[in-house]
Amino acid sequence: MRIKPYSFGILVLAIFLGTILAFQAAGIWSTSGKMTGSGESVQPSADDVNTIKGWMTLDQIVKTYNVALAELLAQFILPADTPASTAIKDLESDVFSVTELRSWLQSRMQPAKPDATATPIQQATSTPAVMITIEPITTPLPTEHVAADKTVTGKATFQDLLDWKVPEEAIRQIIGGDLPAPTTVIKDYVTQKGLEFAPVKAALQVEVDKTK
Amino acid sequence: MASQSLPIVPNRVKPRLRGWKSLLTHQTFRRIVQLAFALFILIVTLQHVLAGESSSNVTASPEAFCPFGGLETLYKYLTSDGNFVSHTHLSNVVVLVAVLVTALLARSAFCGWICPLGFIQDLVGSFSAFLRKRFPSLRRAMTSLKARGARLAFLDRYLRLVKYAVLAWAVIGAAVYGVMVFRNYDPWSALINIAEFSFTPGIVVLGITLVASFFVERPWCRYACSSGAASGLLGKFSPVYLKRESDACKVCKVCTTACPMGLPVHTATTIKSADCIGCLECVGACPREGALEVKIGIPLIGQ
Repeated sequence: MRIKPYSFGILVLAIFLGTILAFQAAGIWSTSGKMTGSGESVQPSADDVNTIKGWMTLDQIVKTYNVALAELLAQFILPADTPASTAIKDLESDVFSVTELRSWLQSRMQPAKPDATATPIQQATSTPAVMITIEPITTPLPTEHVAADKTVTGKATFQDLLDWKVPEEAIRQIIGGDLPAPTTVIKDYVTQKGLEFAPVKAALQVEVDKTK
Repeated sequence: MASQSLPIVPNRVKPRLRGWKSLLTHQTFRRIVQLAFALFILIVTLQHVLAGESSSNVTASPEAFCPFGGLETLYKYLTSDGNFVSHTHLSNVVVLVAVLVTALLARSAFCGWICPLGFIQDLVGSFSAFLRKRFPSLRRAMTSLKARGARLAFLDRYLRLVKYAVLAWAVIGAAVYGVMVFRNYDPWSALINIAEFSFTPGIVVLGITLVASFFVERPWCRYACSSGAASGLLGKFSPVYLKRESDACKVCKVCTTACPMGLPVHTATTIKSADCIGCLECVGACPREGALEVKIGIPLIGQ
């Protein structure tokens, strides 16, 4: 069967755009981890800790899960003056990560059984019983990375280690090779070498702690 | 016998369209479609650059619409509970599926009709053709250069295999290391992130691609595009193919000259090459009615 070139072009467009529109109609579409298919900002869900993402701020967490900021910071031995607008991923350390935060919030949620008559949507959107006052941000926001006091996080670079006076030899031994460009993110370097980041991070943190 | 059922009589010269009617061709339609998609990406890029990463007004990154990002993140998406490799999102997977569905039904027509990087190469190629037409000395120089380079023509068929190696490297690398190992070398990524002013190998590859487009049509698509490689392989199962009617064809080679992918259209009976991007430039250039047509047949076999 013959197809006219014009019809072929229309067919191509119909297939390509039709497939995308079909996925969008089914709600399977997102161009950013920070917004939903309908363009709304993604928020953590009060009844599902797995909806917590690394880019979410402490502010979002304390409001959604009805927890005091001071309690959260104390739980994970984070500096008490940490701004509420700090992203979770920027605070990663040995004792604090998205996974640890999820586990802790889950354990806090378990004793309090949810209202059987409330729908999940009502639970997710209900106003917290206790209003938490978030302290206003007094320090200017960092442009890239807020590392808690000399903490090796997923965003720390080799330059950070050098700035913290960690001996180059010690870094070499831990990563099992020569130092890459100082601006390289440690996590990216380690992942590209096919290694697990967690043990390397722990070993580097030990070296960092020695310098304190 | 089959040709008797066609509404047009083969072996007749196509009527020459004049004036504004000469614009009412499928080639013009293709250019408009390409331009529309390129403008869409340009607007998305400008929005993203102007809003900034830390803006409360979240904007989509142009990388979110790249099908190759979908290919690189697919393994992680399927094996790690819906997580993505950095710089990719659900939209990448959806666009990838759309490209693959298009390939399955209409060959690599995405490359010929939609891909903005292909369009940019087309523009450079068209500019080169314009200059050659305008300046006979340039035309002679390039013809001479082409004649000298003809000795290296045998390399062409081997270089075309490079894109499959790039495809394997990028997909396996992303699966093993969990990061986009190809991103730093990707000219498309370099172009849409050009506002970051960071010098990456991708910028060099982009420069080489644009300069090469002046001498060879669609060099990136021919030799290195991994997305086109995946699309071309899947397109092998498409029911759509090009048919050259040897009875109507006078072997004038206009089709081969017009093909941006450098395929020998005038010697084939059916064009089912994985490198065919479905742009239909050959069909538009063919001066004879019914000599070269788009057909739907049985996948793999044709007919």
